[in-house]
Amino acid sequence: MRLSTVTLALLTLTALPSAALADPTTATIVPSLSPDRLGAHAALTLTIHYSGGELGVPAPVRRSVLRFPAGMSISVPTLHSCSTRRLRTDGAGGCPAQARLGGGHALLEGRAGSQIITETIALSAFLGSPHNLQPAFEVLGQGYTPYDQRTVLTGAVTQSDPPYGEGITMTTPAIHTVPLEPDASIVTLSLTVGRRHARTAPAIVVPRSCPAGGFPFAAEFTYADGSHSATSTTVRCPS
Amino acid sequence: MRFYHLSAWMHSTVFYHTITHHLVTRTLIGGLLATATVASSTQSIALHARFTPDRLGVPTNLSATGQLASADGGIPSPVTKVAFYTPAGARIDLRGAGTCTAVKLERVGPSACPANSRAGFGGGVGLFQLAGETIREQFTVDLFLAPREAGHLALLAYVRATNPASIELVLTAREIKAPKPYGLGFSVEVPLIPTIPGASDASVESAFITLGSPNVAYYETVHGKRALQRLRGLISPKTCPPGGFPFQSAFDFADGTTTTANALIPCPRS
Repeated sequence: MRLSTVTLALLTLTALPSAALADPTTATIVPSLSPDRLGAHAALTLTIHYSGGELGVPAPVRRSVLRFPAGMSISVPTLHSCSTRRLRTDGAGGCPAQARLGGGHALLEGRAGSQIITETIALSAFLGSPHNLQPAFEVLGQGYTPYDQRTVLTGAVTQSDPPYGEGITMTTPAIHTVPLEPDASIVTLSLTVGRRHARTAPAIVVPRSCPAGGFPFAAEFTYADGSHSATSTTVRCPS
Repeated sequence: MRFYHLSAWMHSTVFYHTITHHLVTRTLIGGLLATATVASSTQSIALHARFTPDRLGVPTNLSATGQLASADGGIPSPVTKVAFYTPAGARIDLRGAGTCTAVKLERVGPSACPANSRAGFGGGVGLFQLAGETIREQFTVDLFLAPREAGHLALLAYVRATNPASIELVLTAREIKAPKPYGLGFSVEVPLIPTIPGASDASVESAFITLGSPNVAYYETVHGKRALQRLRGLISPKTCPPGGFPFQSAFDFADGTTTTANALIPCPRS
């Protein structure tokens, strides 16, 4: 009888929803500058990798605060913008080419039935309509297979405390897959903003001096399950 | 003998999860569900259904959830058969769709099926009883199109549960003639599903199913060029009758009772 009780307890434990035993979702960021030179007009590539989560699928990210080194800025020679609404309805082709800031790709995962379904999506970053006189950014995500659909991430410029300068707060909408199934999650995202040596196109302006220890980058993420994670890193000073 | 059962079961199920039943080709556990609660003498079912997107005459998903309960407060009797009827005017556009076979699902699993044979997803919570205790277990459902049988549509359902009992079933839902005012009809026979030694067969506490493939696309090489092909799948009716879309679903249970639910999905607002 005691064995029966123990067995039942163990059985009940193993039958608990896996969410209770899920690893928390965490993220890492890897920034890189090209060219990696002080004062240069450069391209900044930011790669974010999410891990953990229920059954190995990270929780969907809802809000991201990205913090950049003090003195780093973006140069936008011609002010053309594109609205979130236009991106949603017409895609990247519906926006002026001059509003495009960069692009990249992301990998999505979503659970449906017994399967984890993956999809690669193309990212296109645009200058959005200003919000409260502050620059705004839009990132269009367009996937084709297995699901032909698009999503738009919106971002606003914010100020951060030293050693950081400006930051971007991005909002990621729920990425629906199949009704009654969990929303999709971003597993990896790599976005390049600006062009190398660009003077007439958007570019990241690398600070003219580099703090000891390198350029600091940081990010905080809020997930759909209410959890949070934070990460930081540095980019080595140009030699 | 009892000790042996419990011991073996604890060893194999709790720690190693090795109890796997042979795959059986049968019919789908779930069923299309509607917005009603109907009770038989011993079982009741709360049903909800909707179209997504909720528009007339477009590729859509038909999603349904069902909550089963026993009138005596115990676990519901195992489901042995489900029949369901979709609204008149709903149709399935199979252009570009592939098919999968029960043999592939049984031998390899869903990964063996082509992406364009996928017809939907689902899942739910199953129940079984052991030594007077009720054990709950989540299960998943993957739906695939099967080759037509005598000209009739057929769907394959890969039903999977892993913990604490490991169960894999391939079930077949066959198209049946639907009475007015319904359109498509499907019938699903469900075998009794053993769980673990000494425990009751599996019952269903809740289930959800989504049928359809709007937004599903895949690449195909046509005349040497890679082209994106979009599936249409389930198409919602072009008109909505006054009062909404009618649904009917009938569940047979192992205790010999049948529960029939009739319900309506509200017409789209625009």
